[in-house]
Amino acid sequence: MRPSKELLAKSVFLCCAIASAAIILAILGFMVALGIPLFRESTFSAIWSGPWAPHRGAYGIWAMISGTFWIAFLAAMICLPLSLGMSFVISSLAGRRVRKLLGALVRFMTGIPTVIYGFIGIFLLVPLIREGLGGPGICVLTASIMLAILISPTMILFFTDSLLAVNAAYVQAAKALGANRVQRLLYVMVPRALGGMASGFILALGRALGDTLIALMLAGNAIRPPQGFLEPARTLTAHIALVKAADFDSMEFRSIFACGIALYLFTILATIAVRMMARERVAVS
Amino acid sequence: MPTEKKEKIILDSVDFFYGTRQVLCDISATFYSHTLTAITGPSGQGKSTLLGLLNCMWKEIPDTRCSGDIQIFLGGQWISPFRKDISLSHLRRKVAMIFQEPNPLPMSIGKNMAFPLKLAGVRDKYLIEEKVRRALEQAFLWKEVKDRLEESALNLSGGQKQRLCIARALILEPEILLCDEPTSSLDSKAAGIIEELLVSLKENCTLLVVSHYLDQVRRIGDLVMTLENEGLTNFKEGLS
Amino acid sequence: MMRVFMEKMVEYLSWALALLLCLSVSVFLSYLLIKGLPSLGSELVFGKADPLSALLGRERVFDGIFPAIIGTLCLVVLSTLMALPLGICSGVYLSEYATPIMKKVVGGLFDVLAGIPSIVVGLYGFSVAIFLHHHFSDRLGPCLLISAISLGVLVLPYIVRSTQTSLEELPAHIRHTATALGATRLQNIAYVLIPNALSGISSGVILAIGRCAEDTAVILLTGVVATAGVPSSLLSQYEALPFYIFYISSQYTSPAELSNGYGACLVLLGICSVLFMVAHGMQKRLFHWALYRP
Repeated sequence: MRPSKELLAKSVFLCCAIASAAIILAILGFMVALGIPLFRESTFSAIWSGPWAPHRGAYGIWAMISGTFWIAFLAAMICLPLSLGMSFVISSLAGRRVRKLLGALVRFMTGIPTVIYGFIGIFLLVPLIREGLGGPGICVLTASIMLAILISPTMILFFTDSLLAVNAAYVQAAKALGANRVQRLLYVMVPRALGGMASGFILALGRALGDTLIALMLAGNAIRPPQGFLEPARTLTAHIALVKAADFDSMEFRSIFACGIALYLFTILATIAVRMMARERVAVS
Repeated sequence: MPTEKKEKIILDSVDFFYGTRQVLCDISATFYSHTLTAITGPSGQGKSTLLGLLNCMWKEIPDTRCSGDIQIFLGGQWISPFRKDISLSHLRRKVAMIFQEPNPLPMSIGKNMAFPLKLAGVRDKYLIEEKVRRALEQAFLWKEVKDRLEESALNLSGGQKQRLCIARALILEPEILLCDEPTSSLDSKAAGIIEELLVSLKENCTLLVVSHYLDQVRRIGDLVMTLENEGLTNFKEGLS
Repeated sequence: MMRVFMEKMVEYLSWALALLLCLSVSVFLSYLLIKGLPSLGSELVFGKADPLSALLGRERVFDGIFPAIIGTLCLVVLSTLMALPLGICSGVYLSEYATPIMKKVVGGLFDVLAGIPSIVVGLYGFSVAIFLHHHFSDRLGPCLLISAISLGVLVLPYIVRSTQTSLEELPAHIRHTATALGATRLQNIAYVLIPNALSGISSGVILAIGRCAEDTAVILLTGVVATAGVPSSLLSQYEALPFYIFYISSQYTSPAELSNGYGACLVLLGICSVLFMVAHGMQKRLFHWALYRP
């Protein structure tokens, strides 16, 4: 009578969960399946680390991997001090009203679509860089700056949450011993919040690695491993967006699946890293 | 003949573990129908756990283990809550529980009262109204809320909320009522009303009341069971 | 002495950096407002067509963002409709029925899904479209339906996580109330748990909607084009607001078109900001989780 309804419900829920989980694996599956012709043609190492020269039959995506890392890491490096400063201000240094205002600003920033950052970057930032620092303007630096601003809300909110999550009792104790705001921040809150902050950094870095539009619109798309910050570069993500119009059966086209696999792997690594750090933190506390 | 006590619940060598921690050790006891047994003892000795064994609430908590035997005389026959094929929802309609913190659902008083009936599949509106009225009268609450059944249950006072929870538990006419420190969160006046109410319910069901107020135990308990050092150390007649 | 100096430096630097960030963002937004505000109006949306007939579908809009707005709307509705039941049921399963091992494994998979770059999800949608094109029918290809499915996959983790988290965070006494009254697990979920977790679940849904509205990478690969008019069927190509902005940025042919681009930016910004603010208002913590998004 009733039990069958319960069992049915449980099965439905279970199927949904399994279906959803299966989608994730299906994504990887499709990409491997469609990328296989490429792996059969070139050797494994040629794809990941070789040069890109389709006319010679070389489909190495190293230039894109290199571009991705240059832009993402530079963005994370630019974002780090900005986020540290902002999170210090929001969590400790500011009064209540400024805190609320800044918090609202950061939250508002999370809602700004990526394409708008790209749009503003093209018309505002590129000429600025071109005139100020030379070069074509569309380069690693421009993309990294915009990307840094894009990922800063992620980093800021993680940093702020970690700092504020530090046990109030410790902060109280420091206050009672005469520590001022900066001292409480530097010597009590930051050391204990480092784990959470590291997670936030990695998550923001992951976001930077996976971004498509800013790199597509602002980084120049030259297929060459960049040698300097003012050089153009192409990321794995931009490559996928650009090449999809190519002839379906060409190896050039198949290279986008290799890019997809690379990105998928980076994502898994980043996720594992964050989960491991979270577990360590729980174990320690 | 009139004073003959009928057995209602029998525990036999019951052990209970939270993970590896043993909370109840070799408990054997008998509870009699239409009596109020007070269960007391120092905190953390498993009094609430013991109650939870009887309506299988412990099954909702992961990593728990139980052994021994429990027999409850319900609906004319002896059943054991340890059996795998037992219908938990049916068991809990006959073995009801009141918690320390009154927990009305965030809906109107009327809806709170009708909720167990809805769960049990009762649809007849008139029947529902009738049962609600009767349960609220039994719980000494009808006069106070009869004109405000549409209002949110969360607006009641602490004592009223607890009486509402008792009324809600009574609406399915349970044979056993388990009360886990029912007056701990109430002021003394409200607690007094609840005590009176519980004693009056002996007529309809068997009550087990966990309490760490010794004077309360003495006031309301026909029988007193003391749990110390994870074991039952004392089971004697109360002085009511 | 050195220590005091360092502490002061930290304080001043922090304020300076925070100010720098605020300033940059303000400059960007003001620039957008200055350039975009003049173009806001019915001409931006409907171009040279008459608004009423365009709304009724009688006249096609060629140089306004009306088709793009409709395209984005369709995308959002379709993808949310697809992801919602699947996501909520999965979340319920993870919170109420799953063993700890399942929670870890499936939860881990969802973390991966949440972290996957959106272009990879787009690639997946594209692969599905290719597969269907080659094996089923020539008429099938990147289209509104494929995009909606891909966007659904993209936002699935939000809905699952928000459902799971809001259910798990319900206080214990709410869980036990109905159970002690004889509710079965399903009854408890349907009558007590989900109604009480509704604000958290809704917050996840609204976040998902916002994500669908602003995404460009997925739709780039699954069927969005620059001019297609209002989508005529599920299997047709379509326009969308984010893509319009992207397209204009490199293909604008006149200052008027560029101005339209700025206006479109403002419209999109307005829509997304409102959605995110509402989602935040409803449930703060889930909002932070959404920042995983790549």
